[in-house]
Amino acid sequence: MKLAIWSYQAPAHVGVSKAAASFSGIHCVLRAPKGDGYGTIMLAMFERLGVVPPLSISALNEATLAGAAADLPLLLADVDRRHHPEMIVVTRSATASVLQEPLDGEIGMMAPGMVKAEIFQASAHPVRDDETSAFALTTKELVAHFAQDVKRSDGPSVNIIGPSLLGFHDRSNVESLRRALDALGIEVNAVLPLGASPDDLRRIGRAWVNIGTARELAQPTLEFLEGRFGTPWVRELPYGEAGTTRFLRELCALCEIPAERIKAASKDANLLWYARTVDAHALSSKRVAVFGTPTTAAGIARTLREELDMRVEFVGTYVKEWGPWLRARVSDITDDVLVTDDYREVARAIDRTRPDIMFGSQMERHSASGLGVPCAVVSPPAHILNFPLGYAPFVGYDGANHIGDLVNTTQVLGLEHHLIETFGPRGQGRFAEAAPEPEAAHSAVATVEDGAPRWDPAAERLMQRVPFFVRKKARSNVEKYAKERGVAVIDEAVVVRAREHVGG
Amino acid sequence: MQDSFFLVVGTGSCQGFLQTALGVMIFAKPRFATAMLGEDDLSGADPLTGLLPLVEAVVAEHQPSAIFLASTCTPEILKMNVAGCAAPLEERFGVRVYPCRLDGFDPSYTIGEDHVLQSMLARSPETDEKNLVILGCLSALEESEMRVECAAMGLPEPRFLPAESALDLPPVGPNTVLAPAHPYLYQSCAWAQRERGTATFRTLFPYGPDGSRAFYEAIAAAFGKSVSYQERERDTWAAIEREVADLRGRTIAFCSDGLIELPLARTLRAAGAVVDFVGTPQIYKKFHAAEVAALAGVEIVERGDRFQTFARLSELKPDLVVANLNIANALEGMGFTVKWSTELTFQPIHGFSGAGSLFGLFAATLRRHDALAKRRRDDSVPAKPIDLDFFRVGVKTRA
Repeated sequence: MKLAIWSYQAPAHVGVSKAAASFSGIHCVLRAPKGDGYGTIMLAMFERLGVVPPLSISALNEATLAGAAADLPLLLADVDRRHHPEMIVVTRSATASVLQEPLDGEIGMMAPGMVKAEIFQASAHPVRDDETSAFALTTKELVAHFAQDVKRSDGPSVNIIGPSLLGFHDRSNVESLRRALDALGIEVNAVLPLGASPDDLRRIGRAWVNIGTARELAQPTLEFLEGRFGTPWVRELPYGEAGTTRFLRELCALCEIPAERIKAASKDANLLWYARTVDAHALSSKRVAVFGTPTTAAGIARTLREELDMRVEFVGTYVKEWGPWLRARVSDITDDVLVTDDYREVARAIDRTRPDIMFGSQMERHSASGLGVPCAVVSPPAHILNFPLGYAPFVGYDGANHIGDLVNTTQVLGLEHHLIETFGPRGQGRFAEAAPEPEAAHSAVATVEDGAPRWDPAAERLMQRVPFFVRKKARSNVEKYAKERGVAVIDEAVVVRAREHVGG
Repeated sequence: MQDSFFLVVGTGSCQGFLQTALGVMIFAKPRFATAMLGEDDLSGADPLTGLLPLVEAVVAEHQPSAIFLASTCTPEILKMNVAGCAAPLEERFGVRVYPCRLDGFDPSYTIGEDHVLQSMLARSPETDEKNLVILGCLSALEESEMRVECAAMGLPEPRFLPAESALDLPPVGPNTVLAPAHPYLYQSCAWAQRERGTATFRTLFPYGPDGSRAFYEAIAAAFGKSVSYQERERDTWAAIEREVADLRGRTIAFCSDGLIELPLARTLRAAGAVVDFVGTPQIYKKFHAAEVAALAGVEIVERGDRFQTFARLSELKPDLVVANLNIANALEGMGFTVKWSTELTFQPIHGFSGAGSLFGLFAATLRRHDALAKRRRDDSVPAKPIDLDFFRVGVKTRA
């Protein structure tokens, strides 16, 4: 047994449901206790679906506990009649798998014609797989099931693999890639699982090249299609302006089209120019950290480092099996790669490094806010806030612009605040609430160690004159200095000497 | 119960559910955690060994005065004796451990509260005194009203379960007047009757002026007093006329959700709304008898099929549909005006003082709908529900 408080990933059945229900013409049936069916609420609420989601629960109840899954065929028939899917994907939650119901037998014994849809049992393991691996496996399985030998398309074309319902800004991401591909004259053969029908899957071999937007979700499918049809896939990640250009150059080479066309695709890209403008010059002294899915962590860390010259304190992911991939991918950016699925460990890393901006998931947003560190949410686990009504991509050129805007809107505008603090009356103005005093910013994750030196009033007053956006860092530097030298009481002299020593 | 901690023994699904149910992730040091069963635990080993270090960690970090040790679907299926771990854990760590069942097999999520209260009742002291215990989670405001009313009637001060502390348990015995505040606390009441000989209190639940009147009058009667709340009921109806006026004559239907459909439908009807259809997950015949009787003539469907409900609603075309988050947006997509029902289980809507809020929740939804329709002046720009084609953005754009 293991104690879990907040998890980054949902269980396997959520991964299967997300993948299966995202296809069009495919309905997902989850065999589970009623209480495990919260995925339908997430679909209905987060995606704001004005229709019944293509996900149904075959609810275990006290009666089915005793006997067989006799009620499953009835639900399958009902789904068939209501939704007319071409395929019904059946999966079960961990609880249902413990029950070891003979689902095969129940499905096999159904009267012929009772269900017109083909029934497919997803093979992801309800306990051993997690959300990510179950999603990736299910997508590949369905592709493998339907794929047929077809003639390659006349002109260059791609499949975009990975976007789904409940995915992180996925609709926007697809739109952003499509705009770039349109400009290059590359056809989108299919986007999957999001919206792809069984017919689209039958024709999946038409594409010249495959693109995996979230590598951890797409990898098995990319490899399957490479093996089956010899379709190459793009290694670069479409993050940032320069990154997207590299990505498109690789794509153009694979599609045998001239790279000059990229100019047209990138005409609205502003991130590199933003980096040149004086407004952005201060970014060079800013320290950032990135934690999320392996693909977003790698893509965004590189964008911040290479395109904005920000200093990357650490990069990390909670998808543990992708840790080595991430490490290799960012080895030129940082040695500090954090691979953990314990949110508290990430919170401690944020506390330790105190970045100027944290880039993470909703989990990091909470941890960072407790520490007074601004945080931009760039990765799942998501929140309803990550299902915007409008266009907010993270990939492609439009995604690069959006990342630049995020940096801009998330960072604390130090100069502005400093001027207000210097010239305005204390505790007034629009930033009065923005900067927590160090005392108030101490949170559950910030540990106060025993034997910490005491501050005398004069030193405290001096610290109040340090600009707030470096105050916390300065304070901990002074304390570290004092502790190293066995100083029990910090006075003005200690502060001054510490400053000589560590700067700031 | 600020001093309690919930330790849920289950799988990743339970963990996911907890997190999703608390969806917005309240990061104020969570007072719950999941003891996640690994594959080894699924082989049916004694759960105590696995729980010991976990409970030790919880006690060290949170210092709760009581731990609710919740068994879920998976332990249930495995016949894992989670409840049996409570006593040894309590002895070992010196912290009260209440074993309870919180599983997804129940017809409604609200029954979780029933299981928790039952586990507490089981530890309540026995008594022969004639005392008053009001059962169910209530807000401080709702409790105050009940305390004030009891004092005004010259009754003993009521004890509440749960109270602020998870260790504060009222005595319960054969002479106890046990008054359930919610219609989903059947099992706790049945337990008290079976184990302590406590008579089950049967009247309307204290929702709306009519229900509140019946509730207080029944409490008085249980103490041998005849008190009339007729005037109080009338005054309350008059005081909340603004909300009630917006509901009078409007047609309302309930989809099955949290088991509170019956009393809400009953009081809306008393307010002059036309209640067409009430779906509910379960009816406890005797426990809900007064509510069912008050709904004579209304179409009530127990454990109904979702699509049959949709079909019925399409025939009835009510002005307002009350439904859970699962289907609320889909119903809006079908053109209904929807009040999401989950809110009704956590807003303080009990008693005379909660009646305004109760009707206000329904009236506000209708007012918003009417106001938006009026402000838009015409239907030339209708809302387009998001459908699945909306997501086929990569290949073609939405028509």
